[in-house]
Amino acid sequence: METMEKDMTGEESLRIITDMINKTKFNIRQGSFHLLFWGWLIVFCSLSEYLLFKFSDYATPWYIWFFVIPGVFVSLLYGFIKGKKATVHTYAEMIYTWTWMAFLIASIVLFILLSDRMGSFGPYILTVAAIPTFISGFIIRFRPLIAGGISFWLFALAAHFGGQEIAMLSVPVAMLTGYLIPGYLLKRKTDNDKV
Amino acid sequence: MIKFKDLDPLLHSQLRLAVISLLMNSEAAEFTWIREQTGATAGNLSIQITKLKEAGYIEVEKKFRNNYPQTLCRITSMGREKFTEYVNALKEYLNPDKSRI
Repeated sequence: METMEKDMTGEESLRIITDMINKTKFNIRQGSFHLLFWGWLIVFCSLSEYLLFKFSDYATPWYIWFFVIPGVFVSLLYGFIKGKKATVHTYAEMIYTWTWMAFLIASIVLFILLSDRMGSFGPYILTVAAIPTFISGFIIRFRPLIAGGISFWLFALAAHFGGQEIAMLSVPVAMLTGYLIPGYLLKRKTDNDKV
Repeated sequence: MIKFKDLDPLLHSQLRLAVISLLMNSEAAEFTWIREQTGATAGNLSIQITKLKEAGYIEVEKKFRNNYPQTLCRITSMGREKFTEYVNALKEYLNPDKSRI
């Protein structure tokens, strides 16, 4: 970069502004870790709960969801390490991070509120999970994630009106459309893809 | 019609304009990252950052991370305002018939 004080044309000024702003765009690939990690963790928990409910006499199959607790720590630790290593913090990244943090807090509150009727947890958590998914899709301008957020709302309705068995199966299927498919599509993109 | 001499002289410089443009979208950026993005030498960048800091366009925070010194730069609300004014003036210069936005 030229550092001398010299006359610039208007076009040069605009080019510098455009070039520099493009360099602060969000690296979209970094979001794929959380989508894939949570997608698979929730698929594991929800399918295990369904199988225990269907094929065993276990009284409280929802206990399998306690696997989510170490998952939260893994996710937070990953984000913390990435954040510490980052040499720049863009506003897009901050909005992205805090939208997901708000979802985490909302999930804990929901867990407390619904702890006496865990069987009906699915539609509520899908409704709340749709919000950061949908917003993140817009932040990184990635349509599969926007569609994933919408699919969460549709599966939440299916889970509510479809009876207990559909409610239990809605969650793993929603993970496929909301986290796993967008997560793998995101991962396929190169490191240089920015939005 | 706006002339180039009417543009903010502090921003109408390649490296300072690049620094402010980088900081517009960032909550905070490290000196090393700004140097990588602009391709400037550390000495030159340091001089330009000091000018921007003295004018109140940016804030500079020095701290340590893992025992290494770290210099963080942030744009101030004044810097944001001046950048917006600069872009508006530039638009007016380039498209004198169009109204400011």
